[in-house]
Amino acid sequence: MKTDLSPRLRVALYGLMCVLLIPFVFPTWWMVTSSVKPISDIFAFPPDLWPRRFDFSTYSRVFELQPFARQYWNSAYIAALVTAGTMVVSSMAGYAFARIRFPFSNTIFMVVLLGLLIPSEVTIVPLFQMFLRWGMINTHWPLILVPIFGAPSVFATFVMRQFFIALPGELEEAARVDGLGRFKIFWIIALPLAKPALGAVAIFTFLHSWNLYLEPIVFLSSTQMFTLPQALTQFTDAYGGAMWNVQLAAATMTAVPVLIVFIVAQKQFVEGLAHTGLKG
Amino acid sequence: MAPVSLQAVRKVYGDIKVLHGIDVDIADGEFIVLVGPSGCGKSTLLRMIAGLETISAGDIRIGGRVVNELEPKDRDIAMVFQNYALYPHMTVATNMGFSLEHRGASKAEIAERVKWAADILDLSHLLERYPRQLSGGQRQRVAMGRAIVRNPQVFLFDEPLSNLDAKLRVVMRGEIKGLHQRLGVTTVYVTHDQIEAMTMADRIVVMNAGRVEQIGAPLELYDRPANLFVAGFIGSPAMNVLGGTIADSRFNAAGVSLPLPTGIGITGAARYGFRPEHLLLTPDGLPAVVSLVEPMGSETQVTMRLGEHAVVGVFRERVAARPGETIHILPDLNAVHLFDTKSGARIN
Repeated sequence: MKTDLSPRLRVALYGLMCVLLIPFVFPTWWMVTSSVKPISDIFAFPPDLWPRRFDFSTYSRVFELQPFARQYWNSAYIAALVTAGTMVVSSMAGYAFARIRFPFSNTIFMVVLLGLLIPSEVTIVPLFQMFLRWGMINTHWPLILVPIFGAPSVFATFVMRQFFIALPGELEEAARVDGLGRFKIFWIIALPLAKPALGAVAIFTFLHSWNLYLEPIVFLSSTQMFTLPQALTQFTDAYGGAMWNVQLAAATMTAVPVLIVFIVAQKQFVEGLAHTGLKG
Repeated sequence: MAPVSLQAVRKVYGDIKVLHGIDVDIADGEFIVLVGPSGCGKSTLLRMIAGLETISAGDIRIGGRVVNELEPKDRDIAMVFQNYALYPHMTVATNMGFSLEHRGASKAEIAERVKWAADILDLSHLLERYPRQLSGGQRQRVAMGRAIVRNPQVFLFDEPLSNLDAKLRVVMRGEIKGLHQRLGVTTVYVTHDQIEAMTMADRIVVMNAGRVEQIGAPLELYDRPANLFVAGFIGSPAMNVLGGTIADSRFNAAGVSLPLPTGIGITGAARYGFRPEHLLLTPDGLPAVVSLVEPMGSETQVTMRLGEHAVVGVFRERVAARPGETIHILPDLNAVHLFDTKSGARIN
């Protein structure tokens, strides 16, 4: 992009941007550096931007104090299943709402969207009772089923619907003339063209599942079944005091997939949201 | 190849009647053009033949078989869409072979048919490209290739040239016509461009407000339009039409009296039509005051006032007159059209 800013103004602008960056970068920097500090150095004042002493044993202690590898796997496979399930459900629902004419489709879609207005805290007790009746407490099923058929999927359905609405009708008609039925049109024509929107759905669904906190603490009780956000709260000493450096080492490892997802797929994410008209 | 027959075909959306009963018989191998202004129902009719719209009443037959309830894929038709409708995520070759692939054709057969179509349409060097890598004309040819590769009984074209520039449109017009002459497949072609209709069709169906105004060969429609609508729609610039009365073997309009062809035995109110190219420059003619002269090179278009009427003339001669000057003109009496004032129907 060409701009006609003078060099002086440009320097000032970049300087301002660097200053504005600090509040966003500092917490991550503090988390990573504190994870390799002895606990006594973490609250030193003034704070040290660079550790005076490095203590990498915090990372091994994470695995000694908790079944962290197992918890990591729990979070990973739950997030993967939720992402895959949401992509399937939201793409099919979004396509149906966008392309199939059926009575009251817009009204039904509005009712579905209204679900987004209900906070998850409101429905958590009835959900607990339901899963208790189904014998699914202290299993991962609630953490998989609730997002796939709950608010994240509703938002994903909205994103997919907005994309499919913009798909030219002639493509579907050409496919009908070429011999395809409704499902094959969806599967062979519409879905491959929806990759940007699907990418966006995959990213925010994965992140939502990865960061889920309320549901795990309600539905899970054994440490073997815990997911990462829940496990992070469990790094305490014998007196209940937080082991900050160990906890921050665990938090750093927890944040790695999130950072990778953002770095690798940020372009896809922005493109996908642009297709939905959600981007400002 | 197959004949197509439309019998009392109607289309209704709720209370809105779009087609009021269309009867057209299209012969085997014929190139027929549906032409009319926007909203006349021509695209709806084409989509009904394709099976993309349901039929409210009447019958559509392809090859003698009633296809009213058949899915598009079962009608053995191929359609070229206005925006080409090429699958953006597939290469040219995959686009062209797509319908064969989903009808269970072998890979060898698909490759052979795609190659055959690509050779005809000069697409062989583009087979591995994606639609986004093609120009408008190339996309149009791929869309045609996709249609011919399956060797259907009927081709349907829905305003396929409307997205091309004027020069390319002329080229593609010739290619479509040439393709029809080569393959001889029954073709139904929709356009709002009467020049496209005139140059391509074996017969033209002129439609207006959901009704057929006239069916005939291009020159038949041009020489003997059945009514005022067809007279005004076919031909560019449009036919000059003057209102007035027939009396004493003359046509009397506001400020001018025009001669009539011999043998006109009617009197009273009528409309008098003549095409711009059927005006003759003659010293014995009627005086007309020139208001605009547009030299085209091969001909000159002159807008003038004849009596109290604005008329347009197209002359092979170079007209030297300037705005405000008077020239003398006379309609060619062999090409004068008379229409009933109320119904608009032809009366001579």
